[in-house]
Amino acid sequence: MSWVARHLNGLFVAVAAVLILAMPDIAGNEYALRFYTLMLIYMILALGLNVLVGFTGLVSLGQAGLYAIGAYTAAILATRVGIGFVPCLVLGMVFAGVFGVLLAYPTVRVRGVYLAVVTIAFGIIVENIAIEWDSLTGSWVGISNVPKPTLLGLPMNHKVYFYFVGLSALIAFAVNVNIMNSRYGRAMLGTSQSEIAASSLGISVTAMRTLAFVLSAVTAGAAGVLYVFLNKYISPDIFSFSDSIRFLLMVILGGAGTTLGPVVGAGLLSYLPELLQQFGEWQRFVYGALLAAVMFFLPRGIVGSATDLLQRFTSRPAPNRTASSGKSIGEIVGVETVGAGNCLEARNISLHFGGLAALNKVDANIGSGKIHGLIGPNGAGKSTLLNAVSGIYRVSSGRNYFFGEDITKMKSHQLARRGLARTFQNTEMFGEMTVLENVWTGFYSDYRTGLLSAILRLPAYRNEEEKFRKSALDLLEFVGLSDSAFEKAKNLPFGFQRRLEIARALATKPKLILLDEPAAGLTQSEIDDLRDLIIRLSEHGITIVVVEHHIELVMAISSHITVLDYGEVIAEGSAADVQADPKVIEAYFGSPEMLEHVAGDKNSGRSAPEGAS
Amino acid sequence: MSEVVQYFLAGLGIGGIYALVAIGFHIMWSSAKAVNFAHGDTLMLGAVLTIVFLDFGLPIAIAIALAILVGMLFGVVLERVAIRPFATQARSIGWMLTTIAIGIMLESYTTISFGAFARPLPSPLVENPVIILGAGIYPQELLIPIAAIAIVAVLHVFQRRTQLGRAMRAVAYNREAAGIVGINVTGIAMISFAMASALGGLSGILVAPVIQASATMGLLLGIKGFAVAIIGGITSAPGVVIAGLLYGVIEKFVDGYISTAAREAVGFSIVILVLMIWPQGLFGRKEIVKV
Repeated sequence: MSWVARHLNGLFVAVAAVLILAMPDIAGNEYALRFYTLMLIYMILALGLNVLVGFTGLVSLGQAGLYAIGAYTAAILATRVGIGFVPCLVLGMVFAGVFGVLLAYPTVRVRGVYLAVVTIAFGIIVENIAIEWDSLTGSWVGISNVPKPTLLGLPMNHKVYFYFVGLSALIAFAVNVNIMNSRYGRAMLGTSQSEIAASSLGISVTAMRTLAFVLSAVTAGAAGVLYVFLNKYISPDIFSFSDSIRFLLMVILGGAGTTLGPVVGAGLLSYLPELLQQFGEWQRFVYGALLAAVMFFLPRGIVGSATDLLQRFTSRPAPNRTASSGKSIGEIVGVETVGAGNCLEARNISLHFGGLAALNKVDANIGSGKIHGLIGPNGAGKSTLLNAVSGIYRVSSGRNYFFGEDITKMKSHQLARRGLARTFQNTEMFGEMTVLENVWTGFYSDYRTGLLSAILRLPAYRNEEEKFRKSALDLLEFVGLSDSAFEKAKNLPFGFQRRLEIARALATKPKLILLDEPAAGLTQSEIDDLRDLIIRLSEHGITIVVVEHHIELVMAISSHITVLDYGEVIAEGSAADVQADPKVIEAYFGSPEMLEHVAGDKNSGRSAPEGAS
Repeated sequence: MSEVVQYFLAGLGIGGIYALVAIGFHIMWSSAKAVNFAHGDTLMLGAVLTIVFLDFGLPIAIAIALAILVGMLFGVVLERVAIRPFATQARSIGWMLTTIAIGIMLESYTTISFGAFARPLPSPLVENPVIILGAGIYPQELLIPIAAIAIVAVLHVFQRRTQLGRAMRAVAYNREAAGIVGINVTGIAMISFAMASALGGLSGILVAPVIQASATMGLLLGIKGFAVAIIGGITSAPGVVIAGLLYGVIEKFVDGYISTAAREAVGFSIVILVLMIWPQGLFGRKEIVKV
């Protein structure tokens, strides 16, 4: 069973290849073969769209536009310039890819339903340009007389063309699978589940979105070209908004984010026109009802739901306990020990939200190799300070330095690549991915092999993949999560999620880790484990900043403590210094006079930390 | 000269419809962070049903009231069955596709029962054009933008002066916090969708005398109304009205001087450009991420 599961994609390719080879004989006549060719073209299109929708979580309601660009490019070049089939295919893909980049550009800043509007608009623009640009596209009449496709100068008959499209579909499928099971696939999935966590691991969200858009555009372009040479005729009404919806439905029906889903969805929906024919004038009504039914009853798609069901009845792969390596963190990720001096330095930084000053002229020096505590009452600006130095917020004034380098204007992923890692107050998991995959994703920036090696599964790439998988397992053991490696991250108890975030941050080979309230929600024994873990990390030369309300923990581990209140630093120094500072006492408990009045009453508006007395 | 005035006034007329549709999207979005993508079909429902009820021999006032009521029910039911079950998901693909699906079904059913042809909705305001600076324009077309501005003004007062309106703003600002202080968040969503859909039905009735009523009239109006809401800044009611009127005027000029297909290509290119420069829309509020 598990063997079948592991080699499902490979088996599918073998079966599909045999089917494609036999299909011209099974189909019998030219009409049926044409139908199967079209089905394969839709499969190619859906596989590309899956990279966008399934992997990266971006909804495109304008995929027909990219399909049209491939198709029109080929039709115009073939009829006007007299270019052959193969160069048309290449140019159609390139041209659609260029539009993919253009379309990806707004996604740098536009998200969710805003992005949906951009894609809808794109589809409508392409459709209407095809109508309007009469001299080039033939407007409503379209372009006919597309010549027969040729390969190496020889004309392709229907059977050969079918084989060509079939081979293209197999390639598209293999590329899809290989990307999904690569660092790019994990980075895309991660980006779709938590942008902020992905960028904290050194993944450029913009690059991932652009990559997804380009891959899906190139595939849509290829599908468009293949369609033109099948149909020999195109007109604008083949590329309408409702076609974009239909393409999206193929992916959703089959199962977005699964590898087989788009193939299944496109296959089934190719039968749709014939199926709907019997409903006569009710065709569109039934189509709408089908779309609704899929969303209500199969939101994860056929393959997605089937996988869920299978997983419920099969045992998870047993965690590999024999490989108890007991490696130290230095051995796993090879942390570079850094010399003394300032690791992170915030110089006079301020941050305003509208009129509110969340940080006011804050100076902070984080000495290299130390554990640094950052405390203060609720709303003092502690998390804001972390966000301001880790590239999530842009400071209003002042500068930040990381080992002497000015990082004020840098983004989160750039800082992560320089060795600044962090965890989050309200844990930011890649919830739908396994615990192992979460940590594996953390190694993203450490890979030396690129996209092409990943797609072609070159040996160098496989070696790296295996190496980082082992390292990820070692890291899980280091934080004590080996037993949960194959669980979905969202199913972990809260305390485990905190540890997973630390393991994931460690995968980026950090010089500095910012821990945002790592003890919140943990039991006392978990807090003891956490303390040991932090001390172990520090012993290996990683600088640590801890934002915490659990003052006992902070006092016990920090060599230096900074106290914030109302966005300003009110005290600094060793644990003893800070505890004795009257300003700190006042910030937590009110003025000494106040204290006399409300002695013993901790509910004085601002929450007091446990064990602070 | 008269041509320019003609395009400008006619543009305000169609822009007023986009504005009205966009206000509906604004109201829905504020309460649920989700919208009915079949809102264009609510307009269609309002227009088509008015004609159907007139065919039955009902007086015009009752026909209009009934049509708006049905439109309102459509929105409320749709919110309950197609949006609320998906609203909790991080990705918006669920409610987008369910509402589109129901829109397709409604459109198809209307084509079958009402017919595939467009029919005019009689109105005394489209019998004789008035001449303004040499441009002939139907009073109906002038009424639409005025209605849009009046409605946004009423909405503004409603949102600030009434308990219900303030509750709606609270929900728009922070759902959880509104729930904690005892506001019935799902109830607010229902009322908001009822308001937006009643407005949608009314918009359809207002525009039908100008563009004629048909089963397919809603699709493009809905898409454009939503695009306008997004570029205006869906969190701002006055913002979406301004964007709607502007969009209508620009569209009419491109339509008049170039062609209908160019109108859509130029219009939607503007949509993309605006979003690239102002990702929150022209008058929208930026949301700060908290981690």
